Amino acid sequence: MSDDAADVQRVLAGDVDAYAALVDRYYDRCARFAVRMLGNRDDAEDALQATFVRAYRALDRYQERDRFSAWLYRILVNQCRSVAARRAHRERVFVREEALLANAPDRSQGWTGEDEEFVQRVLNELDPLLREAFLLKYIEEMSYEEMSALTGVGVSALKMRAKRACDRLRERWERIKND
Amino acid sequence: MTDSDLSPYVEWIAREARRPVELDAGARDRIMAAVRAERIPRRSFVRRAGNTFHRFVEPRAFTLSPAWSTLLAAGLVGVGVFSGAVMTNRDGRPTAGQPPVAAVSQLPVSDTFVKFSFVAPSAKEVYLVGDFNDWDLSRTPMAQSGGVWTVVVPMTAGRHQYSYVVDGKSWSNDPNAPSAPDDGFGHTNSVKIVGRGSSS
Repeated sequence: MSDDAADVQRVLAGDVDAYAALVDRYYDRCARFAVRMLGNRDDAEDALQATFVRAYRALDRYQERDRFSAWLYRILVNQCRSVAARRAHRERVFVREEALLANAPDRSQGWTGEDEEFVQRVLNELDPLLREAFLLKYIEEMSYEEMSALTGVGVSALKMRAKRACDRLRERWERIKND
Repeated sequence: MTDSDLSPYVEWIAREARRPVELDAGARDRIMAAVRAERIPRRSFVRRAGNTFHRFVEPRAFTLSPAWSTLLAAGLVGVGVFSGAVMTNRDGRPTAGQPPVAAVSQLPVSDTFVKFSFVAPSAKEVYLVGDFNDWDLSRTPMAQSGGVWTVVVPMTAGRHQYSYVVDGKSWSNDPNAPSAPDDGFGHTNSVKIVGRGSSS
């Protein structure tokens, strides 16, 4: 029995602290996906809290033959979609256009707060479905089969979304270089 | 496509985006506080019984020799012929006393089906999002015919807010439905009132 499965069993036996172990195990990864997907930390925390609470409520429906991480990620992706949909058109980003050039890859020497803002802004500009596919594939480093299982979208459609996301990013870079 | 196939710029974006992020220091504690406020989940007897049942009915692969396959097929045909003979009169009509198939007088509330239509001839894809599908951008795709996008969804009775998402980015209200008040962020949704047992 995996650590996850053992912790789930302990929670279902009444040991709430066992759930803290599950939260600790997946918190960082889930937080990273939520921030990158939603573009700001407040929304990410909302999505993260809703994810862990919903997973807790539904723990008795978790099937042990599924991987806990995949099951949790499925909930997280749906929560992020819900938050993003509710807040579409509302995101405001304050990075100045000059900062984009100043932080272009060939000039960037290290990781600064501006770099993070820049990367986040670039990700925010992608359509949500393309951003989701890009993050799952290249940030969470999942296989297309894993992505398909948790999004309910076919493998070929996901490949197309990830490719289009890369194309959009590359086009954007060409525009910056040529301006 | 692997990382090595990515352009240097895209690779840089991916690498930087993989760095860990830090949320507010108290975020994790707030999550656990919210969890502790919930009722402790327990696997119910019905669920345990269901899981046991599931193990029995879970699909399993097995192989049969050609001879056994033939015998099994013949047996199934025999069962079908026998049950048909028992259940029907000589002229093929069902035996009297059998209840008609459509004996349900009223559909359950959650099975009220509502048809949504949206005219968008130049759209490549349109999705319906609303409180009934958690505003999920990919759960309810609409089908197009002659520039009109339609979808039929099961809904519960009550007041629902919804919107159409065109080509993954443009949110459009339904021109034939009333709009909800501004949600405080400059965006309004359309409103659909669904009555008990109604369909449209």
